[in-house]
Formats: sequence, structure tokens, C-alpha cells
Amino acid sequence: MQKIIIKGRGALEGTASGPAIVFPDSIAGNSGALGDIDGVVYEKGNINFGVSIKNAILVVPCAKGSNGFSAHFKGALIAGVKPAGWISTKIDARLGVAIASMNIPAVVDFTEIDPIKVISTGDWVEINGTTGEVVVTKNDQTVRE
Amino acid sequence: MLKLTDYEKAMLEGRMGKFKQKAMEFNVRYAKVLGAEEFCEVSRATLFIGAQHYLDCYKHGEDYKRIFSEFYLCSNEEIELGEMAPECKVQTCAASCDMWNCHKTHLSKEYSDKNKAYTEAARKMGVKIVESCTPYYVGWIPLMGEHFLSTESSNVVISNSLFGAYGNSDGVEAAVCAAITGRTPKWGMHIKENRYADCLVNVKCEVESVAEWDILGYTIGRKLPKNVVPAVIGDFKRPEINRMRQFASSISVSSATELCHIVGITPEAQTLEMATGGKPCRHEVEITKDDIAESFSKICDAGSGPVDYISIGCPHLALDELKEISEYIKGKKIKDGTELLVWTDYATKAMADVNHYTKDIEDSGAFLLTGSCPVVMREDSHKHATGMVMNGVKQAVGIRNQTKAPVYFGDIRRCIDAAVKGRWEEIE
Repeated sequence: MQKIIIKGRGALEGTASGPAIVFPDSIAGNSGALGDIDGVVYEKGNINFGVSIKNAILVVPCAKGSNGFSAHFKGALIAGVKPAGWISTKIDARLGVAIASMNIPAVVDFTEIDPIKVISTGDWVEINGTTGEVVVTKNDQTVRE
Repeated sequence: MLKLTDYEKAMLEGRMGKFKQKAMEFNVRYAKVLGAEEFCEVSRATLFIGAQHYLDCYKHGEDYKRIFSEFYLCSNEEIELGEMAPECKVQTCAASCDMWNCHKTHLSKEYSDKNKAYTEAARKMGVKIVESCTPYYVGWIPLMGEHFLSTESSNVVISNSLFGAYGNSDGVEAAVCAAITGRTPKWGMHIKENRYADCLVNVKCEVESVAEWDILGYTIGRKLPKNVVPAVIGDFKRPEINRMRQFASSISVSSATELCHIVGITPEAQTLEMATGGKPCRHEVEITKDDIAESFSKICDAGSGPVDYISIGCPHLALDELKEISEYIKGKKIKDGTELLVWTDYATKAMADVNHYTKDIEDSGAFLLTGSCPVVMREDSHKHATGMVMNGVKQAVGIRNQTKAPVYFGDIRRCIDAAVKGRWEEIE
């Protein structure tokens, strides 16, 4: 299986791994866009509508929408449906609060390769929030597509 | 490397109590996530707290001290609740229900009582209970260069863009911890160098009414590249604050924009050169009539149809708009079985009471409500609706995540017309 290694800035230390869910247009922070208790994406028009964030590595370009962004992810964490980690092309304040509040590994601020362009939903991703290294094992099916 | 002042170190080391220590621990972690090098002093904050639905993860009857400790202070240890920083003017943002009239919005007394208990706990910590997402109408105005936090995304855009104050779109945990410590990471919009425009937005279509400014904001947000500061130019009449309010709320729905310069209007953009700091923009975006039409198709369902749930006031309305509503609605009756909710803050409603606007509005069968909105109240308040009309792009887009009913979007007068007829009529 094809492996890709990309490097960003480690934003919150620790390691995490899981299947990637890629949100090219991010996830809205508005009430109801993410299920506060079940961690399911309910944002109309989102490419991952109906998908659970539980145990996944969330790959986003940035945050979006309401400043309630972090609170909905925090609610999901307390309800037991937290993601394993975060990858973001660039950090911003909404996402920064979510990462700091959930206290889970994150790699951000990629200057050479945009993770949105090289990671596909379903790829297995290992992130190191201390070194900023991200190892992507391509899912055979996404490579064929 | 993050630098701390002696005062900040004292908070972090617990010399000023556990309440401030835990808040400062969060601040430090947040600063490191952002890559900030120091903190700045915060003098204003609005907090989206109370029995908000993001707290539905806690079982009914859970002790608020434990909730506050875990959720906002990010502490597994239960902390005695202390006081907000005296130098920071702190008040509540939008509430999860009207303080006195939850029964008019299909919410239970039990839920209302829980919200009252949570807000009372906040009041004891020094948070003023204001319940407004447009706090500038009732005096919360950070001045140019003043550092603020607000949990209302449209208020961040207004405060950065119109007032020239400095703030990021953080989130409730950061806002609470900043209000407790009077500190937030000096990063992003808190630094002048990051506030220059790098994306020129050329508006090439007509924009005049409040609703048109609302759709324009959503459209610009939709077309912007990620992570930019836009500067808008175009041949439009100077917008007043209600137009700017709608623009700020809808650009925050479709993008992560925190500051939007409007050349010739906003204080840091009296000229394009001033907005960009004299540097060429890396990006350029055009907004055409077709872009606006495409946005409209995403905001408003096609066709005509019956409606029974209409809401006006996202973000919360100004007194002059309540006057306009009272004049238009006077003598009309809302159709039986149809609800018309009009939203403002309670201080503005008190002025509407004195001016007889409330009476004229409520004589029609509509309700003038305060502090909240359908999206924040969530499904329990509107799950019975079979057809909705929303005033405010933010509400029209947000409610779609919570309902299967058709959702139409209209200006104040079209909303009232729909409530009177119980029907939305599409304009050809």
C-alpha cells in the first residue's frame, strides 16, 4: 500500500491514528451542524453528511461558521464520540479552541503540501502532534479512484 | 516560545486561586496550539453560556459547578466558581430560550428553569445577563484597537470591521477563560500586521436592501479562498449598521472570515491602499448577479407553499426595525395555526414597550421575544413546523440542519405577508 509522509506544525502533542475523514469545505460550527451527542455530521450539503466523527482523524482546511464550533465538538467528546485527532491546512481561532479544549493531537499549518489534496477519506492516517509528522497509508480503493 | 508576564505567571501557578489557574492553563494550551508568543489584555467579552444545547451531553440534574469546570475550564477537577476579571466587561450572548416566554416557543418550564439556574450562576461570577447577539445596540462596543472576545461570529466581524477593534472568532471555552483571566493569546486579528487585506472582492451587482446585503455576505463567504482577509469594493450606497449586521452574520456562515474591510466605509479601509497596507492582493474575487442567484437558490426553497412557522430577527433586531414591523403589521392578523416570532434583546424590547411597538406587533397574534432564536432553541421549539420562512440568511441556512420542512427566505415585509396568509408566495 502506498505511503505518503507530509509535515506540518505539531499543534498539540501526542500521537493518534485512525481513518481519515476529509472535509474540503470544513464543518459548520452552527448549532445542529454536528450532533452534540452522537457526533454525526448533519450539515446540509456537507460532503460527509450522516458520517460519525468518532475515532477518525478529521482533515479540514480551517474551521467555518459559528463561533460555537468548538463547543459542539467538546459536547461530542464528553458524550464519548470524540475524533482521534485533527489535521488542518492552516490553524485558525475557532479550530484552535476546539483542539485545545478537546486536548487531542493535532498537526496544522502545512506550508509545502496541502493535506486536503493528498489525503482521501478512508486513508489510514498516523499523526504526531509533537513532531508535526503525518503518515498517510492510502486506501487501495481511493488510489484506484 | 510563549512569554508570560509576572501577573500571568501568578495566575498560572495558582497564586490567584484555582479558578484563574485553570483558566490560565487553558489559555496557555490554546496559545501553544495557535503558535502565539504572548498574551494581550482583554477588556470586553460576550459569552454563549446558559443551558445551551452543546451541554446536552450532561444528564439532567448534573451539578453546574462540575459542568463549568469540565466544559469551560477543561478541568477534570471540580473547581469552586470564582469571579470574572474586573477589568473585562463580560455579558451573555444569545440565550437558549426567552427568559420569560419559553411556553410561547414550545419549550418546557423545566428547561427554562435550568437555563435560569445556569445564567444565575454566571451572574454571580460577574457576567451581566444581556442575552443579545447584537450587543452593540445596547452599548457593548469595543473601540479601535481594543482587544475583545465574542462568541457571536457576526459580532466578531462587526467589531473588527466596523469598530476597528481586535478580536478572533475563538469559541466559548476561550471566551470564558479570557473573561476570567483578562488575557487571550495575542495572535491573528489581535496583531495589526495580520489585519491587512489580501483578497480583493469586486462587487459587480446591485446591492441596496438589508436582504441584499445579507445575501451578498453569504455569497462573498462562499466564493472567498480559505484563510484570507477580504477588502470589498463596488458601486454601492453606503450601508448603515443594520445592513452591515446582516452582511457580517451571513459571511460568517459560509466562511471563517473575522474581518472584512469595505473600502471607503470601514475605518481601516478608508482607501484600498490603507486596507492592503500598500501590498498587492494575492487573490481577487468577482461577485456577479449570477453568483447572487446561485446563493439565493441555496438559501430559499423554490416555489410557493403553505407555511406555519415564521421568524424575524437573526441577528437580533434594532429598535428602528421594531418600529418598521409595528407600522407594517398594525391592523393585520396572523393566520390561525401560524406562528410569527420577532426577536430582539430585552433592553430593546423595553424600549419597544414604551413606544407601543410591542402592542402593535402582538395585537396581530405575533410574539415579540427576547434573547434567543429558533436555531439556538433547537428542534424542540420548531419540530412541529411544516413550512418555514426565515428572515436572516444565517437562520435560513442554519435551520436546514434541524428540519425537513421547506425553508423560505424573505425580508421583514415578506415574512409578515407569509404569516398573515399562512403561505409563501414565490416572486417570478
